[in-house]
Parts: sequence; C-alpha cells; structure tokens
Amino acid sequence: MVNGYAAASLREALEIRASRDVVPYAGGTDLMIENRKGVRYLFLNKVPELKAVAVDDRYVRIGAAVTFTEALACPDVPRLMKEALSRIAAPAIRNAGTFGGNLGNGSAKADTALIEVAADGKVCLASAEGGRVVDVDKFYLGRKKLDLADNELITEILLPKKGLEQYSYEKVGGREALAISRVSFAGVFAAENGKITNIAAAFGAVADTILRYKDIEAMLLGKTVQEAKGLKADYLNAYAQRMTLTRGRVSAEYRKRVCMNLLNGFLTKFGI
Amino acid sequence: MDGIRFTLNGTEVTYGGNATDRLLDVLRDSYHCTSVKCGCKEGECGACAALIDGVLYNSCCVALGAVSGASVVTMEGFRETERFTALEKAFGEFSAVQCGFCIPGMTLAAEALLSKNPHPTEEEIREGLSGNLCRCTGYNAIVNAVANAAREGDGLW
Repeated sequence: MVNGYAAASLREALEIRASRDVVPYAGGTDLMIENRKGVRYLFLNKVPELKAVAVDDRYVRIGAAVTFTEALACPDVPRLMKEALSRIAAPAIRNAGTFGGNLGNGSAKADTALIEVAADGKVCLASAEGGRVVDVDKFYLGRKKLDLADNELITEILLPKKGLEQYSYEKVGGREALAISRVSFAGVFAAENGKITNIAAAFGAVADTILRYKDIEAMLLGKTVQEAKGLKADYLNAYAQRMTLTRGRVSAEYRKRVCMNLLNGFLTKFGI
Repeated sequence: MDGIRFTLNGTEVTYGGNATDRLLDVLRDSYHCTSVKCGCKEGECGACAALIDGVLYNSCCVALGAVSGASVVTMEGFRETERFTALEKAFGEFSAVQCGFCIPGMTLAAEALLSKNPHPTEEEIREGLSGNLCRCTGYNAIVNAVANAAREGDGLW
C-alpha cells in the first residue's frame, strides 16, 4: 500500500520498524487527529501477538494492540483498569483505542497510563534484536518523550495480578462521555497484619508527565492506619509542596486543589 | 504498488491512494458515501460513524491502511437491511429526526448496540449512543426510538 505497511506478525512488524521510517499505528484515535503530513504508518492492528491478554504467575499481560472494548470484556483485566477504561470516551473510541497507543502517544492525560503508573505496571518493548521491560513511570521521560528507540515497538503492558483490589479512581472532565481528563487520580492501597504495605498515588493530566512521588508514599509505609492518621497533615503538606502543576484547559491552582482533594479522599476511604 | 482492498457495503473495492488517508474523506470523496458526515474530525461527535467488521468506529479516526481486508458498512449499505427498516420506522414514529445530520451515525450506533445487546435498558441505550452528539432533539426521542425498535424489531437482532 502507498505510505503504509501492514504487518501480519510481530516479527514482520519489527523488521519494518527497523528498516523504514514509520509511525506505529494501533488504533489511530490520536494519530488521525494529529494528522501528521508526509508520514508512513506501520499498521499493527492485525498483529496477532499484540492482540492477546495472557496471565502468568505475577502479571496480567495485555497486548499493545488490545482495544479498550476487548479489555473490558476480558475477565483477567483488573477491576481498577476496567473502571478507567469504562470512562474513556464513548464506544466507538473504545473500540479503536489500544493500550500501546495510549502509552505510545506519550500524553500525561492517557487514562490507562495513569493506572499503570499507580499499579507499578511495566511495559514490554521489542526490537528485531531483542526485548526489554521498563517500569511505566520510567518510560515517560517528559512531555511527549518516551524511552522508546526508533527500532522498538511496545508489545505488552504488565499489571500485577494481585494487590490492586483496594483502590480509588477519579476522573474529572468537562462532561461524562468523550471527556479528556482535566485531572485524574488513581490510588492503590494495601495493608498486611495491620501495617500499610502500599499507598500508591498517581496524578494524571496535570503536568508534562504522570506524577507519582514514591518518597512521600514511603512516609506511610509500614505504619498502621492509626499512625498514618497522625502523619496525614505532614504527608498532605509534602504533596502540596512538591506538586508543581501546569496550566492546561484549566488553571494550575484549580488542578492542584482538585489533586489535593482527591488525595485526601483516597486516604479517608481507607480510614486515614 | 498494490492498492488497499476492502469491502464497502458488500462490494469489493481497491483504493489506490495513501494508506494514511482518512476513511471519512475517502468514503465521501472517492466512494460518494455522503451519509457519512464530517462533524468534528477528532472523534468527538460520532457523525462519521461506520461499521468495520460489524464494530462501530468514527471514520475520521481511521486510516485507510487499517481497513485493508475489512468489511466497511455505511448507511448506504445498512439501509438495505430489515434492521434498518425497524429503526427507520421507530425513528419516524418518535420524531427522533430533526435536522438529520447526526442520524446516520446514531442509526449505526444503535445497530452496533443492538447487535451486541438486543434488549438494552435505557441506561445501556444512552451509553451506546454516548459518542453521538445531536444538537436538535435533546436525545430523549432518539433513546425512545431505539428502545421501541428493540421491542418492535424483536428477533431481528
């Protein structure tokens, strides 16, 4: 085809990616709006290796070309991710949008990327030479900048099988369907033997990248809920100090206030 | 170089243009499927909806290369079906059509919904049509029409 390559297998896709100047195309919902001129697409929407959801002993592995609609219908996809998926746009967009595309677009507004960061998710990358696995929060280097080489493709997203049962997810947008997030928040909580073992908090759509501060989270790790309550003011203050937000469709002040409210709501939900 | 082959409303076609071209533009300009409307070109309004292998897409957000080998159905094809007749009757009875611009997209969204879920609740209908904007009707007439089509057209989906 003119200005396009349709790959029928991952191997073929990686060979084309290595030898030609192509833009990977999965669902098209971001690319077709950008409508870049003079590019060639590498169509990945029919690559079987990228279309599967699998489960291993630690992870749910979601293929990069799996659509949001397909993931919503899949019993293995964690509930937290499904909650975010069900609030993305509308059916026709969810039928097209993919996990690889949402991540590969490099936007801090990407609703699935927020969940991946909060869930300590990983992204699998492949090239004709081999593969590597990167933490999703390290995959984002800056605004629209990803740790992705010119010869690499995103192949899978890995989400932990366990530990995502208790969460808080909030998306603040201009309307119900078709909303681009103005502020989004995902928090994951876990406790064992009365001690907090995870209190991940991730903020989307408020800065150049998705924000997560593991050093602040560490303040509450290993503490009981009661102890965490005592530290709550310091903890919230640490976030308020650290968060430098950008102005988008709404002001930075509004975004920060919403972020702090959502964070507070997350703590309160789990008794802190 | 080979063109892009796909089925359009049951007829095999070969498109010789760019794989990066928008399905919306190609449907309208090359194949004269003018039921497919251009409302926003950013996937927000649903007026350009088309069925690709039976699944609802916004054709403004689809590049031609992605439909290689697929079956594309627009209102020009769907209107030949019995299901369309049931939807058309219901849309008429409930005065669900005013200016008509959104209606091809609404109808295909209804078809996509009913083929997966022949007896949707009102909430499910609203969710199924949530990507299609209508500036005339206030939506209720359309939602009622789809509910009625599901009842009256029982067995078609």
